[in-house]
Parts: sequence; structure tokens; C-alpha cells
Amino acid sequence: MAAGVAAWLPFARAAAIGWMPVASTPMPIPPQEKKKGQDGLIILNVSGTKFQTWRTTLERYPDTLLGSTERDFFFHEETNEYFFDRDPDIFRHILNFYRTGKLHYPRQECISAYDEELAFFGIIPEIIGDCCYEEYKDRRRENAERLQDDEEMDMSNDVTPVNLTYREFLWRAFENPHTSTLALVFYYVTGFFIAISVMANVVETVPCGTMPNRSKEMSCGDRYALAFFCLDTACVMIFTVEYLLRLIAAPSRYKFMKSVMSVIDVVAIMPYYIGLVMTDNDQVSGAFVTLRVFRVFRIFKFSRHSAGLRILGYTLKSCASELGFLLFSLTMAIIIFATVMFYAEKGSTATKFTSIPAAFWYTIVTMTTLGYGDMVPKTIVGKVFGSICSLSGVLVIALPVPVIVSNFSRIYHQSQRAEKRRAQRKTRLARIRATKTRGTNAYMRYKQNGLLIDSLAEASKQAGRALVGKAANPPFESQHHHLLHCLEKTTNHEFVDEQTFQSNCMEISVMNKSGSRASSLSSSPHGLSSCCSRRHRKKSSFSLPSTNNQELSTIQIRERPVANSRSSLNAKLDETVPLKCDEPYITPSMVSLSAPVVTSSDGHGSTTTTAYSQSNIVRVSAL
Amino acid sequence: MGALMVIFSLQPKQRSKTRDSVEDELELSAVRHRPEGLEQLEAQTRFSRKELQILYRGFKNECPSGVVNEETFKDIYSQFFPQGDASTYAHFLFNAFDTDHNGSVSFEDFVMGLSILLRGTIQEKLNWAFNLYDINKDGYITKEEMLDIMKAIYDMMGKCTYPVLKEETPRQHVEVFFQKMDKNKDGVVTIDEFIDCCQNDENIMRSMHLFENVL
Repeated sequence: MAAGVAAWLPFARAAAIGWMPVASTPMPIPPQEKKKGQDGLIILNVSGTKFQTWRTTLERYPDTLLGSTERDFFFHEETNEYFFDRDPDIFRHILNFYRTGKLHYPRQECISAYDEELAFFGIIPEIIGDCCYEEYKDRRRENAERLQDDEEMDMSNDVTPVNLTYREFLWRAFENPHTSTLALVFYYVTGFFIAISVMANVVETVPCGTMPNRSKEMSCGDRYALAFFCLDTACVMIFTVEYLLRLIAAPSRYKFMKSVMSVIDVVAIMPYYIGLVMTDNDQVSGAFVTLRVFRVFRIFKFSRHSAGLRILGYTLKSCASELGFLLFSLTMAIIIFATVMFYAEKGSTATKFTSIPAAFWYTIVTMTTLGYGDMVPKTIVGKVFGSICSLSGVLVIALPVPVIVSNFSRIYHQSQRAEKRRAQRKTRLARIRATKTRGTNAYMRYKQNGLLIDSLAEASKQAGRALVGKAANPPFESQHHHLLHCLEKTTNHEFVDEQTFQSNCMEISVMNKSGSRASSLSSSPHGLSSCCSRRHRKKSSFSLPSTNNQELSTIQIRERPVANSRSSLNAKLDETVPLKCDEPYITPSMVSLSAPVVTSSDGHGSTTTTAYSQSNIVRVSAL
Repeated sequence: MGALMVIFSLQPKQRSKTRDSVEDELELSAVRHRPEGLEQLEAQTRFSRKELQILYRGFKNECPSGVVNEETFKDIYSQFFPQGDASTYAHFLFNAFDTDHNGSVSFEDFVMGLSILLRGTIQEKLNWAFNLYDINKDGYITKEEMLDIMKAIYDMMGKCTYPVLKEETPRQHVEVFFQKMDKNKDGVVTIDEFIDCCQNDENIMRSMHLFENVL
């Protein structure tokens, strides 16, 4: 609980008077207030710099050094102050924590010095406020990495877990080639063959000189067809083997087949197999030639070998919207200018601007300032619009490019930060939940101990011994717990923690499934079934004091109101009572009871209490 | 060309955002309140000087601007009840403290309310409680008003309770309350019925004295 609101606890307790007329049970006794000690100023001398604060400010956090009696060790009688031989600059932040309830991390301080001070004063770093927490965690991580790097340089990191299955070992070898020599060799061999294959694709189109019995210049591919075919076969075999091995080793085959790299692999080796299957038919050879183009995709297999390629691909993917927009605006401009140029040049003779799509080529070439010169306007109007087109082309191309470049860097950094935040989000939520549960757990513990302490108090009063343990509970906490206790008494319900609540729900569902059935009542069998079809949940009520302890080993089985006495029941019972934990009602079959039914009349409240006390509660041990 | 048009169209959105934030800042800085002097407060409430000092320090620590608005009030009160949802009850409490109904609780309101609750006579405390339950301040507590209050109180318990909270528990509790308080069975509880009944109830009388030594 934020002790910043500790100052408001008197108000919250006073406001509890609003519950009093509503409560029907007496309230618990408030904790004994210590005689209000002198709320004086405390002087803290930290290496010469004097800090002063109220005593109560420090005592807000009794589990730190300054808030507990531990500070007495540092009391200096001669000067009547507490002296600490520590860094005053960092102490300033620590004292601010007591004042405001928020701990901040100063950026200019060294992280290890700060950590040491926190450890000395008994403050856990987890309570650093959200404003500074990310910075603190980042610095801490950097520091830890630096330490780890130093360690790694000393020792080798050949930690190979011995008990990997062969499949896992294979996958690990593929994903991290540095783990074993064999994997490294395989990595380099595949890289080499990718390069060979790509170069072969390039070289086989180079003209190689004429053969003696042909007049036309032949490409190397045609001249040395067999050699290239053998090379291609070898490469494809290696790629196929690699792909199959990856497929076997993949932990999730379906996911592997969906991944981009595997698609590239398949596309790279498919043309060869299709070519094998297809015969040297002229009709399909055209399609076959097109298919060979796909062989160039082998170059993308390099992205497994190069991290830079992967980053480029990722950033392109993340900038897709910006690129798409650029393309869209360019298309708009092209269409506009092409139309204008077409109609401007329509009049002139032997013009190359035969149609608007033909004019697209001119517009693109002009706007990107290429200016091939294969299409030029001849009319004056055409020349005017042509010049406007080339001027605007400069603007259209030049302006968005820096935007895209800055987008790249922004998106890249953003994704990095987002990943970091996502990784920390879980821990941040866990922290918030932890502080909440810490508060409630503290109260649960107080309740468990509370009864203990009361009985101990009585025992000690008889023995005349002072109870040491009681002082351990700080006054602020005990007042807060008393407040929660008052609320419990007002509503006649108790706080429980998550697990107990869940187990309650499970108990109730078990009770549903295997509770008792009133077979003694002379109800018709369909009465039972009709009862079962509805959802009756006559659950626990204002509990009897004996059920205060959660005995998880017992199942409380309650009677179900049965069909033929429905008329005597309160009509209210027929409603479905939505519970926090929903369980369908299933016919219980275990124990039969003889006494009849709970009749709760129209009076609610106190009458139901009495009714429930009459209800048949059979405790069956679950063991 | 199209890119130019789009770039121009992006501009106005940002300008309107900055204009809004400037207005917000003006609004915040205007709300600042300084309380009356210590002597006046001492005269009006039953607190001693030292107690007023302690109270004000805590108050100002949490609300540097000198007034509490409803959101902050709900926030603060919710921190005392982490398991449940204290915002509805905090809303009713806020209305009970905000005696001049100007939407914010100043230190004077705060300290007057506390003076009644901690140092007032039984009559005054019961009056205050009646005022809390009477949501529309018409002098009668109806069943609907009481049900709202009861639901708010049960909301503070949260979900994880033993025994499990049911839907009709607040309603039942309201029925019990009305049975006790509503003497002439006319469906509403007046201030006299309320005070009468509370004075005759031992439990309530005892619990009224519970928090006297809080400060």
C-alpha cells in the first residue's frame, strides 16, 4: 500500500462510521494505539550533509533501515543525531522515497552505487516508480551484460547439453551453426553451393563464341550444356538434402513449412524437378524457360547466412504501408500526366504517344529524371506539360524518400523499444498484481495471526509477560487491518485469497456433482429430474461460526429443495442465482438424508439465517 | 503531386492537438486553494492546533493543489481496499463531504467532516450517517437509495469472499435494515426514525465510539 496515503488512513477509518448503522454484528476492537510519541524532527547526518524529517515520515516503512529500530545503531549521542557514512547525493533520493512514497532513479548515478545504497538502507529496487523503472532496468541489464561479457571472455562456452535427442541436436545444428564443427562445415558448404549455383545461372547466358558448325553466337549454357546440367544437378541435390533434413529436424513441421525461408527453398529447387519431369516439348518449353527464372530465388537463401539481409527484409515489411502510399501517389501523378501528354500530343503527326498506356512510359521516365529520349513531345503544349512533368517529378520523388528513410529508422527503433516493453510488460503487470496481493496477503496473515495473538495476549496477561510479538505489527498496518475487519463484520462476509476462493468454487462444484439427494421425500422421480434441470444453487450462507476455518478436506453437502415442496418454497429460489463460479447442476447421488427440506419463507435476512442452520449439512470427508 | 497534397493534409491534425493541451494546462493551474487560517479552523472544529497541522500535512501531501476532486478521492480511497471496487462508495462519501456541492473537497470540508466523525456527539454522527445514506438529500432514505449504498459497500469486498457473495445479499441486507429502522412501515426511513432506532441499538451505539481515538 502506498504510504503516501498513510496520512489518509484516519479519514478512511472515520468514514467507516458510515457502515455502523448498517452492520448487524458488533465491530472488532480497534488495535491499541501506542501512546502518541513525540512526533518530533529527526536529524539525519549523512557524511556531513544534514537532512531533517519528521519521525512519522520515516516510520511509514517499518521494514527498512530508517523506519525500524535498526537506525538506533547509528545514533550519535554527542550530537543527538543519526550519522550515516554514506553518499549524500543518493541519500537524497532515498529520503524522498519516504516523503512521497515513490522511489526515483537518478540518471547520472552509477547503477551499482545506487544498488548498494538501496541494499544498505533496506529498500527493494522493485518499488522504483514507473517513471524511472525502465531506465533502471535498462542500465541494470547493460551492467549485467558487461559483467557477463567479461566472464565469457575468460571461459569457453562449450556447454552442450548431452541429453538432446538426435532430432533436437540436428535442429540446433541448423539454427546455430557455431555449436559444432560439423554444423559449421555444412553451413559453409551450402553457402558455397548457393554462390556456385547463382554464378552458374549467370554465366550460362554469356555468349561463348561460335561452334564450328553454327553461324549464330551460342551462349555458354548451350555450348557446355552437359557441364551446366551436372552442376545444376549437384546443387539441387545438396539443396534438397538440406531441405529434407531441416524438415525432419523441425520441432513443428507445419510451422516450418509455412515459414518464408522454407518457401524460398522450395521455390529454388522446384524448377529443376519440373524440368526433369517435363519432356523437351516445344509447347511447354516456353513455360519451362519462365520457370528457370525462379532459379534466381536461390540468392535469397543467402539470408540465412546474413543477418543484414534479414533486417532489411523485416524493415521493408514494416515500411510496407509507407512504400505502398508512395507507389499510390506516384501512380496518381503518372496517370494524370500521361493523360495530359496524350491529349496534348494527339494532334501531332507520327507521334509516339499512341495511347495513354504508351504515355505512361514517357511519364515514368521523365518523372524519375531518367530521360531516355525514346519518346519526346513535339507540340508546344506537349513540351510545356512535359517540362511541368519533369519538374514535379523531382519533387514527387525527392520529397517522400527522406520521409521513408526516417520512417525506417523510427520504425526500427520503435520495434526495438516495443519488444523491450513487451518483455517488461509481463513483469510490470506481475509487479502490480504482486503489490496488490501483498496487501491482501498481509491481511490474511494478520487474520490468521490475529486470533493467535488475542489468545496469546490473554495467556500473557495471566502470566504477566509482555508480548513481544505484538510490537512487530506496525501501528499503521494494524489500523488498516482493523478497518478491513470492520468491513467484514459489516457485510458478514470474509476476505479470502484467490486460491482459497478457487478451491471454494471447486468444492461447490464437487458438491454439486456428488452431493446428497433427498430420497426420503416422497417425490416423484420426474420431480427429481425436473429439479435437476434447473439450476438451483442454494449455497453457503452467512456461515456458522464453526465453518470459519476452511477445511478443504471436507465436502459440505447440502440438501436440495425438491420438487414437491416447491410450493412452500420462496418463489425467489426458483430464479437462477448467478454465481461467480458457474457450475451446472448435476444429479448428486451419494448420501441420502432423511430430514426434509429447507423452507425459507418470505422473510429474508435473519430468517434465512435460521433456516440455514436447520439445513442438513452433511460433512463427508473427501479422503 | 499527390504526395504533396497528402503532406499538407497531415498538418492541421497536429495543430489542433497542441491547442487542446494548452487549454488543459490553463484549466489545471486555475484550480488552487488555500485554506482559512489555523485559528479559524480551530474555532470551527474540535481539533487542536497540532492535530490540524498533522491533518493538513497529510492532506497537502496527497493533493498539492489544495482541493480533492472526485477522481483523486476515489483513487485514494480505493487504495485502502485493494480487493474490491471502492469507487461507488467513495462517490457517496465524496458527496457527503462535499457539503457545498461544488465538485471538490477543500481542506475545510475535509476537516469539518472529520471533526463530526471523530469528535462529534452521537447525534451529529448519526446525522452525518443519515446524510450519507440519503443520496438525493430529501430527508428520506428510500429502499433504492439504501440498496445503492449497500451494493457499494459490498462492492468493496470484491470477488474473493467467504461465503461467496450472491446477487441478492445486498437486497436482503437492505430488507433487514428497513425492518429494523422503518417503524411505521411506510417504505422510507426519516431522520427521526433513524436516530431513534440507532440510539436503542446497543451494537450501533458501541461502534459509534470506536474511532474516537483515531487521531
